[in-house]
Amino acid sequence: MAHYKILGQDPYWMNFFGLMFLTLIEVAAVGLDLSDFAAGYNTTEKVVTLWILTLIAIPKFIMIAAIFMHLYGDDDSKILTMTALFPAFFIIIMVLFIGLTHPEAATGLPDWCRPGNYGL
Amino acid sequence: MKRKTLITRSMVALILISVAMVVSPAVNSLPTGVGGTGIQTSGCNCHAAAPTATIDVTLDGLPDQYNSSETYTITVSFEGGPIESGVNSGGFNLWASGGEFTVIDATVQSRATAEVTHTEVGNDYRTWTMEWIAPSHGRNVDFILHVNSVNGDGSNSGDSWNRLDLSVVGSLGVGLDPADPFTVLATLIIISSVLLLITILYGFYRTNPEAFDWEHLAPWITEWLTSTDHKKIGTLYFIQGLFFLGIGGILAMMIRLQLAGPEMGFISQDQYNQFFTLHGTTMIFLAAMPLINGFANWIVPLQIGAPDLALPRINALSFWLQPFAALLIFTGVFSGQGADTGWTGYAPYVVSAGAHSGVTMWVAGQIMLVASSTLTGINFLTTMAVMRAEGMGWMQMPLFTWSILVANLMLFLSIPAFGIGLLQVYLDRTISTAFYDIAAGGDPLLWSHLFWYFGHPEVYVVIVPAFGVISEVLATSARRSIFGYRSMVYAMAGIGIVAFIVYGHHMFTSGMSPSLRFVTMLTTMLVAVPTGIKIFNWLKTMHGGSLVYRTHTLWALGFLVTFTLGGISGMFFPSIAMDTHLHETYFVVAHFHYVLVGGTVFGFFAAIYYWYPKMTGRMLDERLGTLHFLTAFVTYNGIFWPMHRLGVVGMPRRTHTYFITTDDFTNLPEWAADWNLFISVCAFLFFFSNFIMVFNMLISLARGQKAPADPWGGWSFEWMTSSPPPTPSFDWNNLPVLKDANEHIAHEPSVMGIWFNKLMVPEDNEEVNN
Amino acid sequence: MSGYDDDHAPQPWGPHDWHHGAPHNSFSPLFLSMGVAIFLFSLAQAWSYGTYTPGHIPTILLGLAVVGFSMIIWWRQDISFDGHYEPISTGVPFRGIQVRKVAVWVFLMSEMMVFTSLFSTYMRYRLGIENCGTVFERGLFDPVTNPTGWQEGVAVTCFEPASHLIASSWWHLAPGAINTFALILSSFTIVQALRYAKMPDLDDEVRRKKVYRYLGSTWILAILFLTLKMVEWFIGFYVPEISAIGLHEHDIVSLVSEGYTINADHYQHHSYVDEATGAHMVANIQVSASLFYVTTGTHGAHVAGGIIGLSYMTLKAWKGLYTPANAVSIEYFGLYWHFVDLVWVLVFPFFYLY
Repeated sequence: MAHYKILGQDPYWMNFFGLMFLTLIEVAAVGLDLSDFAAGYNTTEKVVTLWILTLIAIPKFIMIAAIFMHLYGDDDSKILTMTALFPAFFIIIMVLFIGLTHPEAATGLPDWCRPGNYGL
Repeated sequence: MKRKTLITRSMVALILISVAMVVSPAVNSLPTGVGGTGIQTSGCNCHAAAPTATIDVTLDGLPDQYNSSETYTITVSFEGGPIESGVNSGGFNLWASGGEFTVIDATVQSRATAEVTHTEVGNDYRTWTMEWIAPSHGRNVDFILHVNSVNGDGSNSGDSWNRLDLSVVGSLGVGLDPADPFTVLATLIIISSVLLLITILYGFYRTNPEAFDWEHLAPWITEWLTSTDHKKIGTLYFIQGLFFLGIGGILAMMIRLQLAGPEMGFISQDQYNQFFTLHGTTMIFLAAMPLINGFANWIVPLQIGAPDLALPRINALSFWLQPFAALLIFTGVFSGQGADTGWTGYAPYVVSAGAHSGVTMWVAGQIMLVASSTLTGINFLTTMAVMRAEGMGWMQMPLFTWSILVANLMLFLSIPAFGIGLLQVYLDRTISTAFYDIAAGGDPLLWSHLFWYFGHPEVYVVIVPAFGVISEVLATSARRSIFGYRSMVYAMAGIGIVAFIVYGHHMFTSGMSPSLRFVTMLTTMLVAVPTGIKIFNWLKTMHGGSLVYRTHTLWALGFLVTFTLGGISGMFFPSIAMDTHLHETYFVVAHFHYVLVGGTVFGFFAAIYYWYPKMTGRMLDERLGTLHFLTAFVTYNGIFWPMHRLGVVGMPRRTHTYFITTDDFTNLPEWAADWNLFISVCAFLFFFSNFIMVFNMLISLARGQKAPADPWGGWSFEWMTSSPPPTPSFDWNNLPVLKDANEHIAHEPSVMGIWFNKLMVPEDNEEVNN
Repeated sequence: MSGYDDDHAPQPWGPHDWHHGAPHNSFSPLFLSMGVAIFLFSLAQAWSYGTYTPGHIPTILLGLAVVGFSMIIWWRQDISFDGHYEPISTGVPFRGIQVRKVAVWVFLMSEMMVFTSLFSTYMRYRLGIENCGTVFERGLFDPVTNPTGWQEGVAVTCFEPASHLIASSWWHLAPGAINTFALILSSFTIVQALRYAKMPDLDDEVRRKKVYRYLGSTWILAILFLTLKMVEWFIGFYVPEISAIGLHEHDIVSLVSEGYTINADHYQHHSYVDEATGAHMVANIQVSASLFYVTTGTHGAHVAGGIIGLSYMTLKAWKGLYTPANAVSIEYFGLYWHFVDLVWVLVFPFFYLY
């Protein structure tokens, strides 16, 4: 159980509110029209949305893992966190080798399979 | 009047003919002869879609009933058709279901022993003569004669053809129907199952000969069906593994029967596809993995001083998922529509309607096996992480336990990828999702990635426990501690991690990303290094020790030879250029059988001879064991060693037959047929030699010498309990403590150990003794 | 515990006396395997390449019933668990942590790999297949190869993310957003259940009420999640006009009704009309739809699994059987449940919003 406090309040309540707040930002990022904002940074709205979503998802992930799943502040937090993070290597390998390689090997080979092309 | 583009009748005819030519089975129709796979079913349809009745075909010279092995001069001729004589006026193909044709002039040539056609010279004739030597079997012989009557203009239009079927009676009459391979297989499976049942009942009888009745049988069976004790579950895995090793062996025997000679007619290509699929799936998932799990379940808790695994009921669930999965996978055998995709199940064939309906059952069974393996991995990892006896740090664990740890780590981290791939295939085949539907944009290479992401760690999962066994066996046999314990551990851990980044070497010819191919080539070459370290450590263990030759020692030595050879043959594949030549040939088959049978299976034979006294309380007979080793080892090498050379000259794998004719580019040299026959004979001898071990196990169970707690002088924990151990294996309230572990490991903690200790152990706990 | 030669006979059908340790006999694994095999077999008989053959529903239900039966046996053995036997790790570095907690974390490692595989598939296809929006904006017009532009009825293969439909309006987003809220709230309620179960110095009746109410709320929220998912996928919903609060009428059509299905090889969306020819642009979006439904469906299946576990736990809590000694069992489930929430935190933005 969490023996610490967040901003003087019960950590689980605060975590819940924090997560809700972040979710609201996420939904707003998609619902609102950000095309002017995107034009200001010389990119498309889609790219801006993707950045916002990724940057919000990371703290949400950490908040749930650390506070709800007791990976912060418990006696056994350290080893359990290392256990939880152990698959990171295997996840990175799978994303790199399967997620980011080209799916058109069966049909579209000549386009990217050229000498000097070192992409995935 | 505006002239529109005319679609004439000849244009339509030309289009139809082109389509028909593309679509119809290959028929080589040239001035130099007629033949090919499709002629018996579709006729000479290149010339015309249907036979012409006005062509009058005759086959003279055949008797009504032939005499055994007698030679008859026969004449093929026909009347009718476009022109009467001249250049390119006729052609024929004559096929017989028995006997042999002999060519007597230059107008005729042989396509196969019992098939003849015309030559380029013979293309100008309308009548041909040859000799037929009747067979000696006495059964009826069927003849199928196709003749072409061509108009000599060099094209296919205006030609006609016709077909004649003839039957010559033999003294025996119709004779037996050719054996249906599926009937044979199903019969053998049923016989094996009945034998297993009888053995089980006999085992029950031996527990108490006086009490052989239902009142005693029901609780005995209930105990076995419901037990969560690791020793019982280990035995169940064992029985399942050995049973399916036998079934896989039966499949292999039938494959070898088919390959014993060129162009054997026992198994057709379609049936053969199902046979090698089932052989691979059975051997890896239903034989090798359960055997490993059997030993892991039995020995790991004993070696670490734990009373049972961390999650006993889940352990039972892991086991019971397997027989039911086997039922699903084998439904195809009994329906004749088994999976025919290879154990690798490549897309898009695996999701195509052309593949048999048994593929869906195969996929469903595999999904259950994925669940079983995941649960096993979780269970063992947790057990080894948390339930070691006091005083047993990580670097005091016996090497078999370490090998099971690394294997399970690889297994349960890689198998979800396979599970998701299977789910995608299952859904594609049932509710018609589009993961591998090429027309919809699906990518067949995705399956290859997901499958081999699991598939490569999987093959290390089956070999690493064998490494562990060999370490135990050699150390005990050499009567010293294993040389380089720490490097052995790091080597296994290294193999475990690198295994995940080499899977692309199975996909070098698939067209996958070139950068990935390059990376994989390097990493695959790298992964041989830790394995090599282990081999040198084993050699040094023996060199520094004094070897006692028991049967398990013999098997360990055999392992060293065959696994090293398999590893070396494997080192040809990282080079993409070599792999392109060797891919899908028998060289691959030789390599993986050397490491799988010569590695895993031999390792587990050693384990059987080593731990059988512990598990059953009886000693195995050493003479039978030595006989088993000698016969099995020699015949095994007879099977797989020649396959290397066959692969190099290009004998392809997964094809149901091979040709030794001289005019086909896939033909093999003449000695290939002889060696294939040799391999098949050795295969049968190997198969039956293993029954020596089964016989030994059963006889010893009944009448073997009683085994002491430590028959071989080993010093890991399992030798400190009785043979067999009690249940529970250790008393929860009185767990063993590893006190004097400095006999076989370094005394000082390693750098990693000290760092880990500082990081992990809370300050108020006492320091761990290293 | 001194061995099985004590006075209690094995109870393979349950119940089980946990004072001697974990059950050493159980029929549950056997029946669970049997049920799963029957279920998978019948499912494959019922559906084949999208063709449904009637008559197999009874066997599918039989498979599920056998699975249910096996779970009942499992729970009969578990319900008497009161924390007396909770093995603690002896091995470094996990020393002092409950064995089953370590087991749950190891299990979560494998679940991470499951969802990584699904995400990798999604990434591969999403990056590899061109987005429908881009294709349609570009049009099929090419002065040399296709001067006539888009032809009515010709379908092009492209990637249509579900977010194009879901993120098109606030109302379309509503079920997904409420689901996110529901899952986060349920993570909170399960942690509260754990807190009250663990709290020392609490009156038994107060504890019972708190724990079963929090567990029950988690259960309700999980059901809500699945219900809204079905609404979103199949049912759709209707918002009536309430001029008093300025609410306009909305008829939110479900994804399937919009044509976003796994068989959609002639998918038309109203916004994609070729300006040059006026033809409705048509797409083959089977891969996109398959990815969406299977990924979110796998997550939904995990929620369903959680509901099954929660049903048992709520029942046990209602009977007042959770005490500080066995409260850690709630934590084990909680870890799984938080993981399900974590996956949703990743699925929601990348499948629903982007």
